[in-house]
Amino acid sequence: MTPVFSWIYFLLCLILVPPLVLSIIGKTKARLQNRRGPVLLQVFYDWSKLWRKDQTLSSTLSGVFRSTAVINTVIYLSVALFVPWLAQKPPIDGDDLFLLLYSLALARFLCLLASMDAGSAFGAFAASREATLSLLVEPAFMLTLVALAVCSGSTSLSSIFAFSINPGAGPEVWFLGGIAIFLCGLVELSRMPIDDPTTHLELTMVHEAMIVEASGRNLLLLEYSYAMKMTVFLGLSAQCFLHAYFQFLPVGAIWLCLLSVAGIFGLAVLVALIEALSVKLRWRKAPEFIAYALTMSFLACLVSIAKGATFR
Amino acid sequence: MKIAHSRLELNNRHSTINKLVKEDGMRIGLISSIDGSQLLTVLIDPKNGELQIFETSLESHHYPSLSRCLPSAHWQERIVWNMFGLVPEEHPRLKQVLLHEPYSADFFPLRTVSGPFEVPERPHQGQYQFLEVKGDGVYEIPVGPIHAGIIEPGHFRFSCLGEVIVNLEIRLGYVHRGVEKRLTEVNWRKGRFIAESAASDSSTAYAIGFAECIESMFSLEVPHRARLLRVLALEVERVGMHLADLGGLAGDIGFLAAASSFQRIRGIAFRMAELLTGQRFLRAFICPGGVVRDVSTAMLKDISASVSKLQTEIPVLTEMLLENQGVNDRMRGVGRVSHWLALDFALVGPSGRASGIEYDARQFHPDYPDFELALQTEGDVYSRAVVRAIEVQKSISIIESVLDKLCNEESQFFLQLPEDLPPNAIGCSVVEGHRGELVQLALSDQSGRIKRYCFKDASVNNWTALAIAARNNLVADFPLCNKSFALAYSGHDL
Repeated sequence: MTPVFSWIYFLLCLILVPPLVLSIIGKTKARLQNRRGPVLLQVFYDWSKLWRKDQTLSSTLSGVFRSTAVINTVIYLSVALFVPWLAQKPPIDGDDLFLLLYSLALARFLCLLASMDAGSAFGAFAASREATLSLLVEPAFMLTLVALAVCSGSTSLSSIFAFSINPGAGPEVWFLGGIAIFLCGLVELSRMPIDDPTTHLELTMVHEAMIVEASGRNLLLLEYSYAMKMTVFLGLSAQCFLHAYFQFLPVGAIWLCLLSVAGIFGLAVLVALIEALSVKLRWRKAPEFIAYALTMSFLACLVSIAKGATFR
Repeated sequence: MKIAHSRLELNNRHSTINKLVKEDGMRIGLISSIDGSQLLTVLIDPKNGELQIFETSLESHHYPSLSRCLPSAHWQERIVWNMFGLVPEEHPRLKQVLLHEPYSADFFPLRTVSGPFEVPERPHQGQYQFLEVKGDGVYEIPVGPIHAGIIEPGHFRFSCLGEVIVNLEIRLGYVHRGVEKRLTEVNWRKGRFIAESAASDSSTAYAIGFAECIESMFSLEVPHRARLLRVLALEVERVGMHLADLGGLAGDIGFLAAASSFQRIRGIAFRMAELLTGQRFLRAFICPGGVVRDVSTAMLKDISASVSKLQTEIPVLTEMLLENQGVNDRMRGVGRVSHWLALDFALVGPSGRASGIEYDARQFHPDYPDFELALQTEGDVYSRAVVRAIEVQKSISIIESVLDKLCNEESQFFLQLPEDLPPNAIGCSVVEGHRGELVQLALSDQSGRIKRYCFKDASVNNWTALAIAARNNLVADFPLCNKSFALAYSGHDL
């Protein structure tokens, strides 16, 4: 693939995929409920509306709240630039897996601060929940990436996701990793069955209550960075499944590009299916759900270590 | 329905009522006053539906509170204090319910006598004092009165320890409109429009209650066909609202597939309502004397086609909801109201029956032969859902049998009533609406106009139960608890 094509492909995906992921989830959920649902471009319309709207700011706000949305957007954009969520080498080098983990942690930390800064009771409440969830889900995510790193012998994400046929990394590791990252993503992104993004009940919310005080362009940036984060998570998960597939049947670069996007959209449909058909877990059961992700990552670790010992 | 009206001395009031409730198993239906110089207490016998109305003359604005012995009276005594300035002595938690800070302290909207005793001022005027929970790590979450969804206004003050609710205090009265007073100002013939819009989601229950109340003042029986049509309307409303509530429960736990399916079949109930009354919310159909128009046999056939559609859909959907493992996880053991607390606070409607209280105002109603109670004992969110699910199916079979009877008979559906009400008459009615017992009481003056009209919505009893149920539960489970009681703000505030 020529670099020009590669760049065009990357930029198109960067602009179009995040809002489309949200649209696809919304549309699928609506169809599953016998509703027609919004048009696929609805997210673009909503965002352009938010862009034109004024902000309402609480009088107790400090600079933390105002700057968080901007900084978060920058963080998630840079994450999208150095994480190989599409089947090609990311534009920026220095793609260590720990950089990804700590970028996410930094963004989350700022978001927690901002929600407490806004002074609403729900914000602080949701911040405490978010902190609890992230505390539980971070080890699972880290272990998964480490398991994959063990296979390739490097913590650089682009050498982990390099589509090389590596006898040390069988399809099992990739498959387990894909499931683990998807489950971690559901928690990280506050989707069902941990949090119900469609609810209007403030007392049950996690993510929505954190951004409840944001409005106008601030809200636009927060929604955009959320969509970006979602794309990266679904993208990484899709890449894992794609790598598992690649171990059996190597395909060309163009096919990989198409399959990556299709994989992200497919996982978005899966998210919607889970949201329509499952029941939100009780708050106390959330750790049990995260335990599934952790189990997958443990298994991935064990398999990768065992295989590594055999082949190296 | 038999109504016994007697006077009761203030000295004996406490002991007599206490004995009737605790030993004879009667229920406090309503506590109010006419003009502020007496107390009216309506007791209901849940076994046969007999009503006893006690009138107690007062010499001062103080009277001994019943709430210490009969907690179910506590909320109504607060309302009487707000409206008439009658102070229940030794009331455990005397706070404003309906009149908020902007009202002046000596304003008692329903009080019409000035003497013979002075009017007290309402204490605690100024900032409303919520119960404060002290201790390490206890914090408060204020919610409302404006909520995120399009629902009515009410304020919840949670005192929490981590994710657990230690105490919940509910503040209402934001939609107080003075319905009771308005009913004394308009001609009684127009009163039905006010009564049925008092709480719009149970307009039929209110309309039937109003009509029965007026009819009991005339002490006359309405034609059989009118009674059947009323039963039909009331059960259609119950089916519609129970389905909406079940769908709401599913929605609150994020079970979107079930939520939208229940919404869809609720549409069938709406359609039945429209066929029956020409109006999807069953308005302007029931009037004192009968119903405003007859329903043709062709329409009744159409309704019974809808009934059979519901009969095939409802069992599938209730199974989808109630047998689901996740739903069981979320609903079982959450928001429990134990049987004895339910008895103490005299819970009514599906919430009461879910806690094992064998009371449904339909059980003694002559229009409901062979009525069976839907009873559960656990008292949690799941039981309340189960009670609703059972009641929907029972209501549908009631609708079916009523439709059969209606198709086979042709008779009058309306009885012309005289222009004026009988002078100095008293009328009372008890109707089981979808959220529970609704008591209405009317008194006329010498010239045949309504001088006092009062309501006791099911929510008056059940709001307290919500505060009890929420205790020691997770904050995140509160919306589910709240939905399972399906309480009315407007029906309470009136």
